[in-house]
Amino acid sequence: MLCERCKIREANIQYTEVMNGVKTEHHFCAQCARELDFGPYSAIFDGDFPLGKLLSGLLGINEEEKEDKSSQVICPTCKTSYEEFVKDSCFGCPDCYGVFDLLISDNIRQLQGSDTHTGKHPKYHTEPAETAKVLPGAMDATGMEAASESLEERIQILKAKLLEALEREEYELAANCRDKINMLKMESNEEK
Amino acid sequence: MLKWFEQTEQKQPGIISSRIRLVRNWEQYPFPSKLTHLQSKEMIRRLEYGLRDLGEIDGKKYEYANLAELKELDRKALRERQVINSTIADSKEPTGIIISETEETSIVLNGTDHIRLQLLSGSLCLEELWKQANQLDDYINMRFPYAYDEKYGYLTSFPTNVGTGLRVSVVLHLPTLSQGKKFQGLVTEMSRFGAVIKGAFGESSENYGALYQVSNQKTLGVTEKEILDLVGKVTHQLLARERQVRKMALEKHGLECTDEAYKSYGVLKYARRLSAKEAMTYLSQLMSGTNDGIMTTRDPCSVYRLMLGIQPANLQKLSDRPLGKEELDVARAAYLRTELPELN
Repeated sequence: MLCERCKIREANIQYTEVMNGVKTEHHFCAQCARELDFGPYSAIFDGDFPLGKLLSGLLGINEEEKEDKSSQVICPTCKTSYEEFVKDSCFGCPDCYGVFDLLISDNIRQLQGSDTHTGKHPKYHTEPAETAKVLPGAMDATGMEAASESLEERIQILKAKLLEALEREEYELAANCRDKINMLKMESNEEK
Repeated sequence: MLKWFEQTEQKQPGIISSRIRLVRNWEQYPFPSKLTHLQSKEMIRRLEYGLRDLGEIDGKKYEYANLAELKELDRKALRERQVINSTIADSKEPTGIIISETEETSIVLNGTDHIRLQLLSGSLCLEELWKQANQLDDYINMRFPYAYDEKYGYLTSFPTNVGTGLRVSVVLHLPTLSQGKKFQGLVTEMSRFGAVIKGAFGESSENYGALYQVSNQKTLGVTEKEILDLVGKVTHQLLARERQVRKMALEKHGLECTDEAYKSYGVLKYARRLSAKEAMTYLSQLMSGTNDGIMTTRDPCSVYRLMLGIQPANLQKLSDRPLGKEELDVARAAYLRTELPELN
């Protein structure tokens, strides 16, 4: 299939848009896709690490800033820096996993073939108060339906869920979140 | 009481040992690399105190020791006997060890992780070992809450252990299979399933004595049962292939096999100087000879005990002073002349 924009090159990107509940499909070539504006998703079409770029694009930080910042990330509990971790491949304390989560998730998946534990759970486990996730609200599945939350809050929760889904490469779930976000955004525009 | 590798009751031929290793960390402390000297000492004391009645759970007699206070030679000897790894043996930081009389169960405190629980056996009994390890794990956990995360599982110093913290390994004797051209391909094939096969003894890339260790590569995203099944399956497959090629070798080259076994016995019995490589090679052939029924010894004998006995640190422990290379080779030959059983 040829790209619907330039009609010259082969289309290799399929873009699905859901507008007012109507689904439309578009087919673009990589070059045209780069030139078009897909908001935060534009990042997916340039660079060698699309997922990383997409994540940082969504988080609102650009690549150079991220690189500088990632080496400066320091675990507040044991003072292990990300740079130190990269050098020794050794964590300093349990909290390091949470602090470096976004930075190491891909590497751990590469190393272990997975990033999610499926084995034994401790029989005796004190639930520490500080188990706050890196992405607050990300795990809060019920938050979505809660009437007390404003549209803006619901969008924020969904965005966090979207990030988590992308991190786990659950693209279907991510697309689902993206659609819901778009719908909520439209709702909020109508309210205004 | 005899150590596990000194026991001579009939074992499955080809199986040297099975091992389960679990690493855990106490959530109250940073990992060992970030502990101060004082914190390490304090944590070890608290762990030892909490586990002072460990013997009550499995009826075993445990010894509590400070690895840093042991002589370097004793630490190296423990490493040769698979009780601790080289990182722990070389560590200068306070490290505790709780070890059963038979050396089958051991817990290293403040090694690369706070708790390193290990169970060893001279036979292939992974399920049974896991049952014991699981029980001990719960016992320890009841006293010391673990560093655990819903996503990453049991948190460990190194990301290579995170998740289950479980490493399952079996040491096998593969004298015929490992000689074949297809062995390397087989090793690569097994690695695709997530099993690592490597030489158990030897220096640099050379492996002595045809002993190979099979273990799981991944610790995250797999259940304990899946890990046990994987290592068990690979072990059975390698053993079956070894038996198959060994049977063929005995049928086609019976005289050569018999000659090799007796010649090896002769060298081991009468040599005046033996390098580690030579001794391991001849002991491996002796092991094949006794397993195949080519020769029988007057008294029951564990060839693996001799293989451990001739390792440098264990050998030096027998003499009162450190030995040079030449002296080691002489001491090795003398040890084997005394320890080798008579043939029927």
